[in-house]
Amino acid sequence: MAKEFEPNIIGFLCNWCSYAGADLAGTSRMKYPPNIKSIRVMCSGRVDPVFVLEALRKGADGVLIGGCHPGDCHYQSGNYKANRRMKLLKKLLEELAIDPGRLRFEYISASEGAKFASVATEFVDQLKKIGPNPLKEVKK
Amino acid sequence: MVDEKTLRDAVKKTVGRKDVKYVVGYDKGTTGFQAAPTFAYEEKDAEKFVFNPTCVNNLAVYPMLEDKPPLRKGEEPDTRKIGIVLKGCDSRAIVQIIQEKGLKREDVVIIGIPCTGVIDPKKLKVKFPGQHKSVEVKYDNDKFAVTVDGKTQKFSKDELMPEKCKECEYPTPIIHDILIGKEIKGVKKPDYKEIEGFEKKSLDDKWKNWEKEFDKCIRCYACRQACPMCYCKECMVEILDPQWVRRSVNLSENTAWNLLRAFHLAGRCISCGECERSCPMDIPLMKLNKKITKDIHEMFDYKAGVDAEAKPLLAMFKPDDPEEFIL
Repeated sequence: MAKEFEPNIIGFLCNWCSYAGADLAGTSRMKYPPNIKSIRVMCSGRVDPVFVLEALRKGADGVLIGGCHPGDCHYQSGNYKANRRMKLLKKLLEELAIDPGRLRFEYISASEGAKFASVATEFVDQLKKIGPNPLKEVKK
Repeated sequence: MVDEKTLRDAVKKTVGRKDVKYVVGYDKGTTGFQAAPTFAYEEKDAEKFVFNPTCVNNLAVYPMLEDKPPLRKGEEPDTRKIGIVLKGCDSRAIVQIIQEKGLKREDVVIIGIPCTGVIDPKKLKVKFPGQHKSVEVKYDNDKFAVTVDGKTQKFSKDELMPEKCKECEYPTPIIHDILIGKEIKGVKKPDYKEIEGFEKKSLDDKWKNWEKEFDKCIRCYACRQACPMCYCKECMVEILDPQWVRRSVNLSENTAWNLLRAFHLAGRCISCGECERSCPMDIPLMKLNKKITKDIHEMFDYKAGVDAEAKPLLAMFKPDDPEEFIL
């Protein structure tokens, strides 16, 4: 039997909300697919579009960016700015024929372990439908 | 029709000022269909200044290109101003640079030229293949008069103008200290039909199109050098650790470079078309820039290079920014 495609997801999670949210999902023993590799950043506003592109080129099938809810940012406005940036990046990815569904920006607070688990599940399902990333550099 | 005598007088007056270092303007070109940027350090240098439809370059790059070597002990920094001759579209670059605090308004003296459109050298090159000698192009009412080997031919403006001039919103410089001639009101609006048409295509078709274009790219970075908004001291493609873009010229790296270039200009591109003009491989770079300009206008109701007091697009937010999902 052919192995089912398992997407590789890089998650950039904000230290104050989403990372703690992911932590909560883990400590509460919620079930979510293990496809997400989390990278902790101090703020979702730290995520440069270069990071997203680099992740996609290095073989990630999807990139998840988790930030605090609007108004909750530890640094006042980082999540709003990240939101603007990612929205633009999505449009640009679409123009260059990369499925914008590979990039996802979510607001996940520290108390929303359940939301993190459901977002992860949903995102993996979505990426399974989209299929492997065509940008992936050919590996030897 | 710009009176060149008034222009020269203005340059003379500006360069004569004690607080002005030099003035950048256009000189008659030495080859083909392009005027060459030139500098005036003294009053007599002003005589070579011209303005005609071949003055395509955006001179707003010059104040940002200037080398500022570290000062010796006891040396005072040179705070003198730079004079620039600017067309309407070029002035938006200066406005945007001032908005980003790259320059101060008092650092530059702007000699504004209300412009009725310039030529696209690439379009003329097709009409006169193999023409290397400098060619005279003049405004002739609603036409361009091109003189090659003593013979004058007239072309309609639509035939020779680049796309940006056909939809020029700001023919008169937005900010200026001296204006040559009368102000021209901008009546044209940007036309996004082509972009919208391309948006509707499937991802596969889109990629086929861009693959073809990016495959041509030789990564000479002429687009970056010509762009008045690309003035970072160290460009991200030259950073070696971490190396975001590898030096090899292949489709993957070319795509990365072009995507990042376009994104770094998001909310900053003032549509002067310099990247596309300078591209030796004829990649339609403005198509990417225009797509972002359109999205920004639709999503955030923002236009770059119009208001020097406004905040840069990606450095601010509004609580009512569009959301794709309900919280």
